[in-house]
Parts: sequence; structure tokens; C-alpha cells
Amino acid sequence: MKRIGVFVCHCGHNIAGVVDVKRLAAELAKHPGVAFATDYIYMCSEPGQALVREKIKELNLDGVVVAACSPTLHELTFRTAGRMAGLNPYQVEIANIREQCSWVHTDGAQATAKALKIARSTIEKVRYNQSLEPVMVPITQRALVIGGGIAGIQAALDIADAGYEVVLVEREPSIGGHMIQLSETFPTLDCSQCILTPKMVAVAQHPNIRLLTYSEVEDISGYIGNFKVKIRRKAAYVDWDVCTGCGVCVEKCPKKVPSEFERFLGMRKAIYTPFPQAVPNKPVIDRVNCTYFLKGTCKACEKFCEVKAIRWEQEDQYLEESVGAVVVATGYDTYPIANLGEYVGGKIMDVIDGLAFERLLSASGPTAGQIRRPSDGTVPKEVVFVQCAGSRDPELHKAYCSKICCMYTTKHAMLYKHAVPDGQPYVFYIDMRTNGKGYEEFYQRAIDEDGVIFLRGKVAKIFQDGDKVMVWGADTLTGRKVEIAADMVVLATAIVPSAGTEELVKRIKIGCSDGGFLLEAHPKLRPVESMTAGFFLAGCAQAPKDIPEAVAQASGAASKVIGVFSQEAMAHEPTIAFVDEDLCSGCHMCIPVCPYEAREFDKEKGIAIVKEALCEGCGACVAACPSGATQQRNLTDAQIEEMITVSLME
Amino acid sequence: MKLAYYPGCTVRDKAVHLDETTKASARELGIDLQELENWTCCGATYPLTEEKIANLVPQIRILRNVREGGNSQVTTTCAFCYSTLKRANRAIAVDDLRRQRVNAFLRDDDPVRPYKEQTQAPADYEGEVAVLHLLEVFRDGFGWDRLAKATKKPLNGLKVAPYYGCKLLRPPKEVAFDDPENPTIFEQFLAALGCEVIDFPFKSECCGSYLALSAPESASRLSHLILTSAVKSGAEVLALSCPLCYYNMDLRQRDISKSYPGFQHVPVMFFTQLLALALGLDEKVLGLDLHYVDVRPLLRQKNLLQ
Repeated sequence: MKRIGVFVCHCGHNIAGVVDVKRLAAELAKHPGVAFATDYIYMCSEPGQALVREKIKELNLDGVVVAACSPTLHELTFRTAGRMAGLNPYQVEIANIREQCSWVHTDGAQATAKALKIARSTIEKVRYNQSLEPVMVPITQRALVIGGGIAGIQAALDIADAGYEVVLVEREPSIGGHMIQLSETFPTLDCSQCILTPKMVAVAQHPNIRLLTYSEVEDISGYIGNFKVKIRRKAAYVDWDVCTGCGVCVEKCPKKVPSEFERFLGMRKAIYTPFPQAVPNKPVIDRVNCTYFLKGTCKACEKFCEVKAIRWEQEDQYLEESVGAVVVATGYDTYPIANLGEYVGGKIMDVIDGLAFERLLSASGPTAGQIRRPSDGTVPKEVVFVQCAGSRDPELHKAYCSKICCMYTTKHAMLYKHAVPDGQPYVFYIDMRTNGKGYEEFYQRAIDEDGVIFLRGKVAKIFQDGDKVMVWGADTLTGRKVEIAADMVVLATAIVPSAGTEELVKRIKIGCSDGGFLLEAHPKLRPVESMTAGFFLAGCAQAPKDIPEAVAQASGAASKVIGVFSQEAMAHEPTIAFVDEDLCSGCHMCIPVCPYEAREFDKEKGIAIVKEALCEGCGACVAACPSGATQQRNLTDAQIEEMITVSLME
Repeated sequence: MKLAYYPGCTVRDKAVHLDETTKASARELGIDLQELENWTCCGATYPLTEEKIANLVPQIRILRNVREGGNSQVTTTCAFCYSTLKRANRAIAVDDLRRQRVNAFLRDDDPVRPYKEQTQAPADYEGEVAVLHLLEVFRDGFGWDRLAKATKKPLNGLKVAPYYGCKLLRPPKEVAFDDPENPTIFEQFLAALGCEVIDFPFKSECCGSYLALSAPESASRLSHLILTSAVKSGAEVLALSCPLCYYNMDLRQRDISKSYPGFQHVPVMFFTQLLALALGLDEKVLGLDLHYVDVRPLLRQKNLLQ
């Protein structure tokens, strides 16, 4: 027979104001197996805990029930107290007589009777509790970062600087993401390339970072601390180990195609690096457009390559990496103009999106920083900027605010004015949201110093009229219709998760919120963790955000990863499912019901096993098991039966 | 192919040629349009702006009659009738309380037939009839290829601008049978008839609607904008489906000429008139003498009319 000690807490008046705690302790002292029962005003206080510790030692208790508040508050407190007194922590249980009794009842007699039942059932549970040790899960101290934009770069550098290895996977030929496309950044107008390229180079040179560009994550299996990652390195048709990055092949390639990096406002070759500062600065051949792949002749690049780095026969390679944690920083795309039927869906050449305008502003862009409109190359004298193009429009497009457009449009209008001093920028907005450090001042500067005209209202219609782009809108502050014969229109299109996010989410099984953005574990208190242990989130993949916020979140995710890696092994709760191998028939019922993929069929044994590191102890498989072979530690069917029996006793 | 046909009040007055060409073309194409018995006015769109019970009664009565007549689909050509019936149908389907109350109202209601002994009232109407615009019937039921093959006198060389108006596809979630901002169904219809389709920026703008009565200058301004834009884009004739749009586009040109000196008249036709023409139906059916702006000189010039 166990020797169980029962400690009834008053919690001031919280419990004692309703429940007769003295009677409770006296009644429980008579319960079979209870060696000692008492009450105290605040059991969680140091004297209260000391009482628990003393009695364990003094009376040689081998089980403890604390009748107090919810176990989420003080289970750990009392289990620690038990351990300090030499008792296995899993022999200490909480009977919740506050949230589940005194707080929700007013009748003292009935509440006391109920508290008695709660405490007695907990005593029965403890009677059959086993002493357990935490499941120790070894950790691979190596991280995977998916996405090489500013968020991925920052996370990779932070983790690598802390001394852990990082595998950084980027699907484009170069890292840099969308930030490297930007001209200057609000609100300080520092050059985006100037501040980002040093970080890109740092990634390439970091001894702890393995950079895999032009690669995609195909699959991730395993669990926190022990992931297996399958990565596909896309065929570049260039041996990057041999290539010196001299650029002669690009120069000699005769085939020109519109450049994705330049938002189709400029051209690139069929063998290309996306931009001159690319990291790594090694070219890839675009097989779809390469003359040799299309027609079987050309090979100009091969002829001129001094180091013979062209590999026509190269194929996609598959790599496998072991990592302990993953940062998902897959970034964003802009909502396609083609979806905006009300703005003629991209059929007007001089209606472009904000990223394309960034390229026009950029000194290294297709117009070398001169503002020239796409249709005829003239300098536009009147430019209309349309905010919320696809955002804040639950009827037709995206319901959410894309967050960064107010600021970058203000910046666009300002930089346009700097480049074309006799031009006039107009901005249509719903609300100006300038909530960041120095942002409001920046907006005021655009009005006061640069003469940007801000019109509060939506643009209803855009259409071509001769060489003008007519814009119809409303100015809701004067209540008038506005018609502008513009030379160019820039749409601040909505931010959407980057193409492929949806499939990736399904493949690696992390949650998604509205709009397809990655779901954080808690919107306020766990903003960089995903719902799945071991996956952390950074950047616009989680929600639209600006550069400082993306960097902060990336550093947050990195510190979480470093936190995981700071231990050799991770302790996992042992109160999880286990299988009686003699009883299990291998019927597979438990496997599909497990939400954590912790149940697996062992072909050799012919039974369903529990992957302990993955099991969260939810009990779904225990309920599903038809033979009772699966049980939960310290919450077995036998224990539950005893708990019910004692609860039903009068 | 068989379905109920709801003509609507205006087609018996200002837009007789819409009704006549619809029925004649359907007959020619072998579509069995069964005109509803004892139909009433749809109630027009104004009453739908308030969420009450009585203003859903006429539409639901019409739709219930469609069902009682043994049809599961009803078609109409008027954009207003289409919108009103479709939106009422949806309101009934999604709102339990309104459905119960409108049906309670209809249980002992039979305004058209003379008073007679109470018979068993029809079962409650729950939104089971599909309301279709005639363009939808051609696209989804009949098919563009079949329509093109049935065309005996393709309207080759006739430059037609399709004018949707504001009502046909809006509000999108309730009535749209095509992308409201960038529709193509009318274009596909005209292409099947052999027309040269002219795109123009104002194909979904409002014609001025009821402002024709309260603020005719505004209606003139809008009509002028739409007509001149279509002509500037190369159109010779404007095609439309809505009788009110027709009124504002055709007859209104008399006022436009007064307000905008130098304005050149533009012929306007119902889409079913173009259909009847392409099917080679008798000129008498087309009702070409009913237009304010005579379309016949243009059609003769194109050898589409004797």
C-alpha cells in the first residue's frame, strides 16, 4: 500500500471561502492509503512547500496530492518540491479544487462534497502512478533555413554566429530576396543594395553556413531535434565548383529574354546571374529559353568558357541533410496585376506594380535610375500611385492590410519627385498607416517638402485614352470625383505569400492562417514559433512586414533555434502513450488518429509502436485502440476506472 | 432544351423587339422557351434595397410558378429582371426566417386568378429554381460552337461593342455569371455570330439608369461618354441586353445631340436582334423600325439587310 500525503490549500479565501478545507483534510485523512492530510493557507508559498518537503521525508511518503489550483499554475512547483525531498516528480499530482470547484460554485456544502470527490479521484490516480523519467531526445545542433531573403539571411547569420551550422536553401540562383530589388528604403532612404550586399557576402563566407542556392526543399521528416531534409539542387548546367564567375558566357550568349529580377522591364540572357552582385556569383542556364536546348545548336557559352564549366548533361541532384530545427522564411510575392480586373488586369503597359517601380528607381535598374515609362520610354510627368490595390478588399481580393504599402508608396512618390522635379505625383489612399519609428515624419516630409498630393479615396477605374492613362477616383475629403490624365500608374499591389508556400506548408505540415500566411503558435506570446515543434517563422511568410520587423523576427527565430541547440538533448514529458506488445494486434487503428504522426507500424514486430519524442500524450490512440494495448502512462484505463469508482461513491 | 421564360414588363412596351427576337430566335434554335403563365412585374430593383418580406413576394411568386409549371430553370433577357429574380432567389435560399415568412405570405395568395375556392397551396418555395440570363443559357446550355454553326448569315465585318451596363454582373457575389470587372461572355456571344468584337473601357459603366427621370442631364452625360468611347474604339453599333440601358442609349441620343453639339448618332441593338439577324430570320421580326437611331442604313451598307 502506498503512503500518500494530502495537502489542502486555502488559497486565501479563493478556496476556503467556499470549500470547508478543514473538513476536507479531515475526511481525506480517513481515505485508504492516505498517511497524512493537512491544510494550509497558501500551499504554494515557501512555508507551504517546506511543509510538503518535510512531511515527505518525515513520514516517508511515496505519493503526494495537492488539492489546490489548476495544474497549469503549480504542478511544476509541487513536482519540484517533491523531487527536492527525494520523491519522483510523477508521484505528485494536483487536484484542482479552485478553477473546477470553488470559483464556479457558491453552495459551500455541495462544493465541499465535490472537492472531496476531486481529491479522492486524484488520490486513486496517485495510488497507481509509476515513477517516470523524462524521455530524453538527442538534438542535432544544425539548422535549416528555408529562403534567402533578408529574414533568412539574418536568421542564418545569427545562428551561425552563435557557433552552430546552418544549411540555407534558396530556390533562386542568388540570395537577396525582394530586398535586393529595392532602390532605397524608407524612412531613411539608405540604399537597399548597400546595406544588404555585405550581409549576403557574409553568408557566403561564413564557415558555419552551407549555402544551397537554386535549390528547393522537397521534404522534411522527423521531429524537433531530429529532422531529415531532402533538398533538390536544380541543374544549373554549369559546374559552379569550376566556374570563376567571370561573366564571359553571359556576355556571349545571344539569347535575350525579359528579366524576372527587373520585373520584365529589362532583359537578361538565357545564361544569367539575376543581377551583378549575385551571391553566389555563378550563372545558371535557363533551359526553357536556351537556344541549344531549344534547337540543338549554339553552345556559345561553352565555346567562350575558359575553364570549361558548362555541363549540358547535368541533372537535378538530391541531397539529404540532418538538422535539429528549421526556420521558414519563404517570403512574399506581390498580388498579380492580372487579377485586378478593375484596373484592366495588366493590359496597359504603363500600369505597373510597386516592385517594378523600384527597378525604375534603382541606379542599377533597366533605366539606370531614370524614370521612364515602359510603353514609349518617355519621362512621365504625372504619376498616380494607387494604394490598397488588392488589399483591404474582402469583396474581390484580399481582406487584410498589406502593411508596408503606405510607406513605400510615400517613398516612391518622394523619390519620383527627386528624379523628376517638374513632375507631379498623386497618391490615392484609404488610410495612411505610418506606425513605425520615423514613419509619420517621413510622410509629412513628402507632403511639405516634396509636394506629393495625397488624395483620400479609392481609384474606381483606370483606362487607356490615347497615350494617357486615365484614372478615375474619388477624393472623399472634398466629396468630389477626381479624374487624372496620368502618364503612368503605380499600383501598390497586395502582399501575398510567395508562390509555392501552400505546397511547402502541406509538405512540412505547419499551419496556415487566413490569406495563406504561416501560422504562429500564439499571435502575441509565441510569434516566431509555428504550431509544430522545431519549426520557426521569420519574415513576410508569416505576415506582411517591413525590413526592420522582418530582421527582428528573424533574430527572434534564430534565438529560439539557439535555445533549442543550447542543450545536448531535450527532455520530453513521459506521460505519453505506450504499447503492451503482447496485446497489440497491429490493426493500425491508432495510426491515422494520431495528430502528431507519433504512431507507426513496426513491420518486424507486427505491431504499432509509439515514437516517444513525437507523442504529446493527447490520448487519441488510447481511445481508438480496440484491444486496450495502448495505454497512457500514469493515466491507464485501470487508473481511470478507479478514479470514476471513487467519484461515484457517496 | 426546355426552360421557362420570364419576359418582364418593359419588353411588352419600350422593348418589344427584345421580346420578339428572343422568342423567334429560340424557336429557330430549337430552344423550348415556355413563357410563364400569369406573370407579374418582378418588382424592379428598388424594393430589394430594403430587407423586408413583402418586397420579396413578387419574385418568389414568379419563381414558385416556374416550379409549379414543371420547370427547374427560368431565363430572362432584361438585366433588371434577371438581377431582381436572382437576388430574391438567393435571399430566400440563405435566410431561413425570410424564407418562412415570404412563404407564409404566399400560402393563401393568388392575385392573378379570380377568387375561387381555396385549393391546396403549393409547397413552400426554397430557392430551387435556377435563374439564368439568356447569355448564360447560350454559354452553358447551348454552347458557342453550336450557336456559331446555327448562324446562317454570319455578321462578318460588323464592328460591335458589347455593352454590359452596370447591373448584369453586379453585385458580383449575388448575380455574376462572369468576371464583373473583366467579363467576356458577351464578346464570346458576338464572336459566335461572326461579329468583329470591339473592346472599350466603359463596357461595364452605368448608363444613368433611373436618372433618366430625375436628372436627365446626368444620364445624358453618361450615355454620351459610353457611346463616344465605343465609337472612338472603332465600334459601329452598340449591343446590349437591358431595356433601360437601351432607352438611355438609343432614345437619349436626341438629348445628347442637344447637349453635345457635333455628336454623331450611334446605332444601338439588342443582342437578340443581332442573333435573329445572324439566324437569317425575317426582317419583320427584328423590329428595326422601333429604334430612334436607325440601324438599317448601316446593316444595308454591310449587306446584312436587303
